[in-house]
Amino acid sequence: MAVAKVSERWAAMSLVPKEEVGLLVDGLARHYQVIGPKQKGKAFVLEKLASGQELRLDYQTSILPPRKALIRPRETMFSFHDNQVETVQDAGPQVLFGLHPCDVHALTLLDQVFSLEYEDPYYAARRQQTYVVALNCTTVGENCFCYLMGTGPTLRDGYDLLLTDLGNEYLVEVGSDAGEELLRHLSLRPAPRVRVVEKEKRLDQVRRQFRQQMEVTEMREVLAGSYNHPAWRELAKDCLGCGNCTMVCPTCFCFQVKDQLELDLNHGQRVREWDSCLLWDYSLVALGHNFRPQLETRLKQRLYHKLYYYEDQIGTPGCVGCGRCVTNCPAGIHPLEVVARLKGE
Amino acid sequence: MSNPYVPVIARIERIIEETPDVKTFHLVTAAGKPFAPRPGQLAMLSLLPVGEGMFSVSGQGEAHLEFAIKKVGQLTTALHEAEVGQAVGIRGPYGNGFPVEELQGKDLVFIGGGIGLAPLRSLINYCLAHRPDYGELLIIYGARTPADLVFKEELFRHWPQAPGTAVHVTVDAGDAGWQGPVGLVPALLEQLNPRPQGKVAITCGPPVMIKFVLQALERMGYRDDQVITTLERRMKCGLGKCGRCNLGSKYVCLDGPVFTLGQLKALPAEY
Repeated sequence: MAVAKVSERWAAMSLVPKEEVGLLVDGLARHYQVIGPKQKGKAFVLEKLASGQELRLDYQTSILPPRKALIRPRETMFSFHDNQVETVQDAGPQVLFGLHPCDVHALTLLDQVFSLEYEDPYYAARRQQTYVVALNCTTVGENCFCYLMGTGPTLRDGYDLLLTDLGNEYLVEVGSDAGEELLRHLSLRPAPRVRVVEKEKRLDQVRRQFRQQMEVTEMREVLAGSYNHPAWRELAKDCLGCGNCTMVCPTCFCFQVKDQLELDLNHGQRVREWDSCLLWDYSLVALGHNFRPQLETRLKQRLYHKLYYYEDQIGTPGCVGCGRCVTNCPAGIHPLEVVARLKGE
Repeated sequence: MSNPYVPVIARIERIIEETPDVKTFHLVTAAGKPFAPRPGQLAMLSLLPVGEGMFSVSGQGEAHLEFAIKKVGQLTTALHEAEVGQAVGIRGPYGNGFPVEELQGKDLVFIGGGIGLAPLRSLINYCLAHRPDYGELLIIYGARTPADLVFKEELFRHWPQAPGTAVHVTVDAGDAGWQGPVGLVPALLEQLNPRPQGKVAITCGPPVMIKFVLQALERMGYRDDQVITTLERRMKCGLGKCGRCNLGSKYVCLDGPVFTLGQLKALPAEY
């Protein structure tokens, strides 16, 4: 894994003038595929950067989360012909550049999901060759609630390099051996230690912009006693069951698997695609029986898995407060507002 | 790195026509038995390029695994069209299986309906193979019609002759040759009324049957830890990744498919 805990070993810091940050991308792109935020219409996407000029570190959030670089929306698991199976691996070294702390946290959660009990070889192969250049948040988006979830707006570990906007330049901190490896491809000027004070001052300002609605522990208590709360029925009337929230979620991982046959009727591929527990056929079994026929139970499945079951499974809530589900929900369903309603507010 | 998603290619060694829509397939690999599952465990079977699905292992021999499969969808229809010698991908075993150690010394009541006898059969035959470890076996089984009864050879010949084993078979609707009881499984269970002392009831069948069987067992005084069932989900991976079989904080493929009624009651009522 490319990430490691930060220690004194990597105390060195560097500075990059803002107008030169694109050169970092260009320097890394000579050795790695660099995926970072770029503009698409009025929104931003995480995609391969053709050059540093495309980089938009002023992005608030991306449409799809970074997990798409590790488990693709649709990917071939293996190909086959005449019952001979050939596995497919397309992993190459890649740098995820400019990830916000919430998204870095999401990756560390997925690392656990995809290695628990059985290791997923596709995820693992890509993850081992993935470098994370994170970016502390110095502004707060309207749907952000990372501070409540304890996943932002600043990052303590999980990164190889960490950028912080200091106004006219970025502070660059190293978080791992892999981060030092990245730095060897770049020529940066060292930062005086006093710039850390500047960094902390700016990050404190960001933290103060959050309104603290409730504690995570309280959220869990509320959910524990609310499975049969009548508010769910009302919420299900708002929900369209479209599955948008699951597609844009950085910690959703469900997939379905399909075989497809080529026109020679001999060669084919087994592919997997992102799936959604909000969709009706997700919980369908043989002979037409459905375990979650009501949208209400599917909506509950989604929110309970994020905010409750995930914690039982890997020890932390499955929500990192990125706000994408809120932004992309046609009905404006907000996980925190749901919990508040269950609480009776 | 070994890839747990890639099936091993097995061959169909034998096909037994159980009913008009259930066939039992014996699968072997070049190395012999694909693996040695515990009773109640699962395996993913693939027909390339139709797809892959999770099935209960209904039995095993020295060198083969058995799967009793009902024709219900695309994959199972394709399996039913398969012939001896055809290749089938297999990977497993998955899931917890029945708690065979905890069941030692107990009298066991098996309550099955339709194809639901498939997982129970693996445990029944296990108990008979380890006869001194288990008490009396009571097998209650039903299907829609006499033609729909699976494992007839065992139901009417082997099991009734086995020591300490009683078999009661019912059908929803009889035919000209049927001389056994006619009626639903939960009714037959209540009529037989096996006392709960020292017993564990193990049930598998269509959801509606399970619902009434659980009610009957409760009336008869069975505690939640004396009732065991197996859950079905349309699983895509078997490895706790695809999310399909998530139920509360559990995954049926990892933590199940076998649960006690007590365990199920602690989970959301999505079964």
